[in-house]
Amino acid sequence: MAEIILRRWGGELAIAGAIALFLLPLLGIPGKTYLTLTIAGLAMGMLLFLVASGLSIIFGLMDVLNFAHGSLFAWGAYVGFTVFNLMMDWVEADSVLMNLGVFAIAIVIAMIAVAILGIILERVIVRRVYGNHLFQILITFGATIVLVELISVFWGPNDEVMTVPFTFRGNWDVMDVIVDRYRVICIVIGLLVYSVIKLILKKTKIGTIVRAGVENREMVQAMGHNIFLLFTGVFAVGAGLAALGGVAMSVFSLQVYPHMGSTYLLFAFIIVIIGGLGSVTGSLVGALIVGLSYNYVAYLVPWAAAGSNVIIMIVILLVRPTGLFPSGE
Amino acid sequence: MAEKTPVQLFHLEDKRKRYRRSDFYLRIGVLGLLFLIPFLFPSYKTVDLAMKIVIYAVLVASFDIMLGYTGILSFGHGMFFGIGAYSVAFLIGKYGDPSYFNLMLGMAIALLAAAALAVIISFLSLRVKAIFFAMITLAIAELAIVLATKLSGFTGGEDGISLSMPGIFAVSFSAGEFLGIEITGRVFTYYLILLSCLGLFIVMLRFTHSPLGRVLQAIRDNEQRAEALGYKTFIFQGISITFGCVMAALVGGLYAMWVGYVNPESCLGVFEIMLAVLLMCIIGGMGTLYGGIVGAAFYLITETFLPDLQHLARDFFPNALFLHNVLERWSLVLGVLFILIVIFFPKGVIGSVRDYLARGSR
Amino acid sequence: MSETVLKVEGVHTFIGQHHILQGISFEVGADAVTVLIGRNGAGKSTAIKTVMGLLPPSEGRILFRGKEIQRRKPYEIARMGIGFVPEDMGVFSGLTVEENMRVAMLIEDEATYQRLDRTLEMFADLRKFWKAKAGNLSGGQKQMLAIARAIVNDTSLLLIDEPSKGLAPIIVESLIEVINRIKDHSVVILVEQNFSMASSVGDNFYILDDGIVVHSGIMAELVHDEELKSNYLGISKVGG
Repeated sequence: MAEIILRRWGGELAIAGAIALFLLPLLGIPGKTYLTLTIAGLAMGMLLFLVASGLSIIFGLMDVLNFAHGSLFAWGAYVGFTVFNLMMDWVEADSVLMNLGVFAIAIVIAMIAVAILGIILERVIVRRVYGNHLFQILITFGATIVLVELISVFWGPNDEVMTVPFTFRGNWDVMDVIVDRYRVICIVIGLLVYSVIKLILKKTKIGTIVRAGVENREMVQAMGHNIFLLFTGVFAVGAGLAALGGVAMSVFSLQVYPHMGSTYLLFAFIIVIIGGLGSVTGSLVGALIVGLSYNYVAYLVPWAAAGSNVIIMIVILLVRPTGLFPSGE
Repeated sequence: MAEKTPVQLFHLEDKRKRYRRSDFYLRIGVLGLLFLIPFLFPSYKTVDLAMKIVIYAVLVASFDIMLGYTGILSFGHGMFFGIGAYSVAFLIGKYGDPSYFNLMLGMAIALLAAAALAVIISFLSLRVKAIFFAMITLAIAELAIVLATKLSGFTGGEDGISLSMPGIFAVSFSAGEFLGIEITGRVFTYYLILLSCLGLFIVMLRFTHSPLGRVLQAIRDNEQRAEALGYKTFIFQGISITFGCVMAALVGGLYAMWVGYVNPESCLGVFEIMLAVLLMCIIGGMGTLYGGIVGAAFYLITETFLPDLQHLARDFFPNALFLHNVLERWSLVLGVLFILIVIFFPKGVIGSVRDYLARGSR
Repeated sequence: MSETVLKVEGVHTFIGQHHILQGISFEVGADAVTVLIGRNGAGKSTAIKTVMGLLPPSEGRILFRGKEIQRRKPYEIARMGIGFVPEDMGVFSGLTVEENMRVAMLIEDEATYQRLDRTLEMFADLRKFWKAKAGNLSGGQKQMLAIARAIVNDTSLLLIDEPSKGLAPIIVESLIEVINRIKDHSVVILVEQNFSMASSVGDNFYILDDGIVVHSGIMAELVHDEELKSNYLGISKVGG
């Protein structure tokens, strides 16, 4: 009986449970602080979504668990960092347009550069190990070592400070609730990216083929579609999303460092396990859960923040081992 | 005479060859060298290096039980290593006096704690898919580091815990001179750990050659087929994981005894320990057990002598820029080496050499 | 037999370590439905998967309209005009019927849309459930969708793997009708265990056993050859 309910209403139950869970901190947090924390959590969740979605799509279509995803994220952050440094007068200018301009340029260049890196990675390394999970993890882990070391070679091994564009700094005070400006930008970026991905997957032919491929690669091939080209393309898109996440996250956390990828890769893993590997919507929901709970817990019990995600992941694994959403959604 | 089954013939062949193969003498030679190290090269640096090679070789072997023999990649191996190290450190460092009993108790706690945690993690992740194991262990290992760092009242936090060995293993103990070398507690500790590691290694060898080990290899090679043959792959994988993790914890305990100090970074660190273990395992050869020795020796020797090598290169080959770059960027070289080995020599040094010899003798 | 469309010459295929096809040869002419029959595990499905490029042959040649295709990728083979309906139908159950058809349409031109109209006329149910998730269709409807996807392109050779498997007899009847209509436009190779279906659509037959062709000929003759049927198609006696 319980199983039937779970199967039929599992998704709805999970959502209801999640909502209840997110109102629960209200017991321990004053209302206005709660709102501020919620915005911070949503912003963080959206940024994490950018990392996790690429990982999830790549797994869904190609059945490849890309351990190098975190280092692609770090590469994106460093390319963005370089663009910021080259255009520092735009970053420091007291002009929304110039600030947005440099931010957009940094994102575009980082996405293109890392997408190219992703294509090389897929063509040279990942392609050799399709169908073998163990070797995929090993080889992409090896790629991580190399990519992170290359960051040290090009940019040096130390932490670098990322400058926040001038008009992105500071807060808005909306009826006594402190709203960090950049966090709002992050939320907008996340929603935008999610909508675009969903639109492409739902409405375009290539998106439909990708969804078909997630279900049955062999059949998509037998219908005359070059699955390897599709793999490369999806890998490049996933890498690009990681880069976008890297740029946005480095501005958020005010720094870049060579090993930054591993921290966020870990978040991404937890998110895709919660949301369901291969599902974009699952990545979004998982990322928001992680982002919000991280911020609430960090306020209530600071030392337990990092652990709360792992606990949520374990609970999800116990209740619904395949994650909240089935792959391909 | 009754016809022998292929398996029996294989075993006979194996036995017949055992004492004739050159690698048998190689093994005896390596073991002998390790036993003589404190007398041949009594400097702190060499003894420490030899001990760490031994410890890491066994750690890598325990990792190989899971990776090479079961096809399961764990990023939590460092955590189990750390659990063992911390158990010993708690018992003879932070919460107890150095006594033989507490030392044994520490090892026993390491064993039990590791077994319990390994069973829980296997249950959590194997229900889904074996690849989840890599992700979940990574997440849980990170959690372990955070806990060890943040719960500083209990674990000593980032400062770590210092410990001293009991009785004849204490650093201050001295049993006089023998062959011109002072026999200190360190020397006794060296032999204690060497013998323990040898014991663990033999247990692991027996494990992989047992019927159970063969089932695990069958699962690794073809999970569906093994399942179809009626093996509950889930349970066998769980057994292998638990065994490998318990071994890692015991090695961790031995490591703590040797270095006399544990902290989150050196005992639990995902990237510090896992990177080294993975590299050693891949370089030496997955699924060989002995690969750990080669991998650990290569990795630790180059790591220890890298600064010397860099100096040597600069002094003797001032114009060999490529050589300088290689040595300057050693981690990068290791990363590239790692990828190349996975692609071209997935069996590592030991496996490739074995293949080569097998081809030669045919 | 008129012009040869597909020629398979001495093909060997391994799946893992199992030697499934052990030098299989057969030819398919332009004006006939060819049926591959044989026991379970005889290599029928492997044979058409090998033709489709989904399993790489280790030896032998496969010629489609005179061109070697045994080394080509499945998508190249599909683009040469070979349609494939796998044993499990390969319907994308998370996609709607419409999306399934869209994925199948390689070029969206006038001719393709005409073929689509013609196909949907044949399969009225598909039009009815055009916006429904393919996963919610009945078994027979899924089979229709799978076939519709394969003929919406300009296919000149259609490989169908056990279409009658798991379907009710009345649906098998309509399948027979469909295949009889398809053969006006395209050459059909059918893998079939159900002898009554095989005999009512097939013109030629090949009997496979242990990865090789053991008999071939004209279907009309096989229908009366009780000895051959009981030797190689034991199932037809029991199952009917």
